[in-house]
Amino acid sequence: MEIREAHEKPEEMAAPAGFNLSAWEAGKRAVYAADENAAGGRPYLDSIEIQMGRTLRDQSTDLELGKADVVELGPNELRRQVAGRQVWSSSPVQVVALVFGPRVEDARVREALALAVDRAAIHNVLLQRQGEISGALLPQWLSGEAFLFAPALDMAKARALVSGLPAAARTISLTVSDAAWKPIADRIALNARDAGLVVPVTVQSGNADVRLVEVRLASSDPWRALAELAAELGSAAPAPPEPARAGTAEALYGAESGLLDGFHVIPLFHLPLLFGAGARVKGGPGVTPLGEWHFENLWVEARP
Amino acid sequence: MTFRTRLLLIFTVAVAAAVGVVELVVSSRAREAFETNEAHRVDALAAQVSTEFRRRGEEIVRKVESIAASPGANEMAISPDASKYVNDAEALASTDGLDLLDLVAGDGTIVSSAEWPARFGYKEDWLREEPDWKARGAFLKREDLPDGPALALLAVGTANVDDRRLYVAGGERLDREFLSTLAVPAGMRVLLYSSMGPKFSEAQLIGAGGPAAGGAALRTLIEDMERGQREITRTVGRGVAAETFHALPLTGYDGGLLGVLLIGSSLKELVELEAAMLRTAIIVAAAGILIGIALSWWATARVTRPVRLLAESAGRVAAGDWGATVAVTSTDEMGQLAGAFNRMTHELVGQRERLVQAERVAAWRELARRLAHELKNPLFPLQITVENMQRARESYPEQFDEVFREGTSTLLAELANLKQIIGRFSDFAKMPAPEMEALNLNAVAAETMKLFEGQLAKAHVRASTEFDAALPAVQADREQMIRVLRNLVLNAIDAMPEGGTLTVRTVAMGTGARLEVSDTGQGLTPEECERLFTPYYTTKTHGTGLGLAIVQSVISDHKGRISVASEKGNGTTFRIELG
Repeated sequence: MEIREAHEKPEEMAAPAGFNLSAWEAGKRAVYAADENAAGGRPYLDSIEIQMGRTLRDQSTDLELGKADVVELGPNELRRQVAGRQVWSSSPVQVVALVFGPRVEDARVREALALAVDRAAIHNVLLQRQGEISGALLPQWLSGEAFLFAPALDMAKARALVSGLPAAARTISLTVSDAAWKPIADRIALNARDAGLVVPVTVQSGNADVRLVEVRLASSDPWRALAELAAELGSAAPAPPEPARAGTAEALYGAESGLLDGFHVIPLFHLPLLFGAGARVKGGPGVTPLGEWHFENLWVEARP
Repeated sequence: MTFRTRLLLIFTVAVAAAVGVVELVVSSRAREAFETNEAHRVDALAAQVSTEFRRRGEEIVRKVESIAASPGANEMAISPDASKYVNDAEALASTDGLDLLDLVAGDGTIVSSAEWPARFGYKEDWLREEPDWKARGAFLKREDLPDGPALALLAVGTANVDDRRLYVAGGERLDREFLSTLAVPAGMRVLLYSSMGPKFSEAQLIGAGGPAAGGAALRTLIEDMERGQREITRTVGRGVAAETFHALPLTGYDGGLLGVLLIGSSLKELVELEAAMLRTAIIVAAAGILIGIALSWWATARVTRPVRLLAESAGRVAAGDWGATVAVTSTDEMGQLAGAFNRMTHELVGQRERLVQAERVAAWRELARRLAHELKNPLFPLQITVENMQRARESYPEQFDEVFREGTSTLLAELANLKQIIGRFSDFAKMPAPEMEALNLNAVAAETMKLFEGQLAKAHVRASTEFDAALPAVQADREQMIRVLRNLVLNAIDAMPEGGTLTVRTVAMGTGARLEVSDTGQGLTPEECERLFTPYYTTKTHGTGLGLAIVQSVISDHKGRISVASEKGNGTTFRIELG
C-alpha cells in the first residue's frame, strides 16, 4: 500500500484494525503484521507494507504498474478509466478549503477570493461531482446545518473589493500539497484573475500566502471534529471548547461561524476519501464510510 | 610665403583632395551596393517569413480539421456531459503538435483548453460569429494565456453532428520558437512585437533568442506602425550598432493590428567597411602627402633654384654689379629665362657704357661751352683794349701813353678775371682728399655765419641759427665743411635778392648729425631740384654752376648724404647728414 503522508512516528498513523506494527522506517515505510489474536479473528492478509511519502501521481502509476495493491487517489482520478482498478470511496469526510496565512492582512483580499471562486464549475468538471460544494467546515451529514453557510459567487462584488486594493496587495500566492490538486488551484487562480487578483500557483511551497488544503475529519463528533479542524487549519479564530457535546446546535453554528469570520478560512468542498485497489485485491471495500482502513477481510490473489 | 611653400601647399591639398574625393565616391558606391544587397536580403527574408506563415497556416488548418473530423470530436459534440472531456484538448494538442487547442461547445463554452486547462466553462463567443471557418483558413489572433497575451496563428474547424456543433480552435504561438525556425542570414534578425496597445512594452519585443536587445530603440518605429499600420523601413542606432529594420504589420482576422514583425539587418559590416575605407584613405592620403612633400620639395627645388639664382643676379645688378649673369643649365623655360636675363644684363652694360660716353661727351661739350662763354667775356674787352692801343699808337701817338695806361689797367683786370675763372675750374678738378678730425658742426656753422654777417646785412637777410646742444662731434675736414657752408649760404643769399631769412639748423641723429640751411626765397621746381647738383648747372645769371657740385663732391667724400627740399614760392632747404 502507498500513502502520501510521511509520518515520523507510528502513533501519527492510524494502524489498520487486526494488524500490529512490525517494522517502522520514519517517513518511509511501515509494516503491519496480522494479529493472530485479533478480536474479529485473524485477518486474511499476513502483513501490510505501507510506503509513505508517495505523491498521488506516483501512487497512481505504481497501481497501474502493479507495484502497489492499494493507493490513495487524487480528486481527478475518477475521470480516468483504468482497467481492473477498484475505487473505494468513503463519505465526504475531508474538507477542502483555502487557508490564508498571516501575511494577507487585508480582509478585502480574502473576501474577494471567497466571492470569486466558482465552486460549481470545479465540482462539476474537475471533481466529477464527488462530494459536495460547501461553505461550511463541517459537512451537512455531520452538523446538519452546513446549508446555513451556503457559498456565494459574486464576481461583481469581488471586483469592487479588489478595485479598492493597492496594486501590491492584489497579488497573492497559492500553493497545494500535491500536484494532483493543482488543476483546482489553477481554476481558483483563473477566477481570482477575473476579479482582478493575480494568483500564481505553486506546489508544496511553504511560503505561500494561501494554501489549498484538504483535511480529513478526525471524529464523527461535530464539536471534536470542529476543534480538530480549527487546530489543523491553523485558523486565526479561537478554537471552540473541547469537548462540547453538551453544546446546542446554535452554539455549534456560532463556533463554526466564528472560525469562518474574517475569511481566514474559505471552505470549498467536502470530498470523500478515494482509494484505488488493484484487480488482485479481493474482499473490498477496504475503507469504512468514515474513511478508516478496513483490511481484515481483504485478501490478495496470487500473481499469475 | 615663398613660392616653394605655396607650391608645396598646392601639391599637398591636391593630393588630399584627390584621396578625399576617391574615398567619398568609393564609400558612396559601397553604401549603395550594400543597401541594394541589404534590400534584397530583407525582401528574401520577408518572402521566407510569408512562405513560412502560409505553410504553417496550411498545416494548422489540416491538423485542426483532422481533429474536428475525428470520432472523438463528434462524440464530444453530442455528449450531454462535456466535463469528462476537460483534459482532452491537452492530449490532442500534444499529439498533433499544436501549442493551442480549444474544444468549444456549440454555445461557445470551452469544453477543454490545452493552453489554459482551467478555462473550461468560459465563453469563446467569437467562434460563433464566423459562418464558415473552413473558408477563412489560418489567421492571426491575440490569445490570453496564463503567462500573458500572445500572438497565435490559429485555424478553426467544426464538428457538426445533427444540430450539435463542436468548435476546434487550434494553432501555434508566434513566439521565439517560431522565430527560431526561420533561416535568418548572418547579420540579420527577425523580431516580433506582439502586444499592440497604447503603451509600448519592451518585454513584448522578442527575437529567436528571447527578449530583443536594444528594443527600446524601436519604440518610435512600433508606435508609428500602430498609427499608420503600413510597412515601414527605418534605420535605428548609430555606428556599428546601427540597424535597418523593415517592419511588417501583422493583422488579425478582423483586420486589426495585432503585432509587428521586424526584419532587422545590421549595418555593422557597412560601418566597418566605411571605417576601413576611411582608415585606408587617411593612410593613403598621409602617405601621399608625405611622398608629395618629398616630391614637391625635390621638384620645387629644381624649379625654384634657377628662379632664386635669377633673383640673386637681379639683386646684384640692382646693387651695381652690371656684369652679373646666370648659368644656363637647361633648355626649358627656365633656361630661356636665364638666357634672356644674361642678354638683358649684357645689353644694360652696353647701354650704360654708351650712356657714360654720351654723358662724357655732353660734359665736355658743356665744359667747352662754359669755358668759351666764361673766357669770351674777358677776351672781348682784351681785344678791344689791344685794338684801341694799336689805333692810338698809329693815329694818336700823343694819347698813346694815356691809352696805354688805361689799356694795361683794363688788361690786367680782365686777365685777373680770367685767372679767377681758371682757378675755379682748377679747384673743382683738384678737390683734395678730406683730412678727418672730430668736428663740432655747431662751432663751424657759427664761425661761418659770423664771416657773412656784413654780407647778410647788406642783402637784408636775417640770419637765424638753431643749434642742437646735444649734437655729437662728427669726423670731417674742417676747411671743406666751411667751404660747403659758404657755398650754401651764398646760394641762399642769391636766392633772396629782396631779403629774407636764412636759417642754419643742426640736429643730433644718434651718433651722427644733420645740418640744414634754409632760405625763404623763390624756391625751386622739382626739375630744378633734380639737376641742382649737376656740374655747371645754375639758375643764376652769374656763376660757374660748380658750387653745389663741389658741395655734393665734398659730402660724398665724407660718406655723407645731401638732399634738397623745395617748393616753388616757399623757399629751399638743404640737408646734410654726416656720421
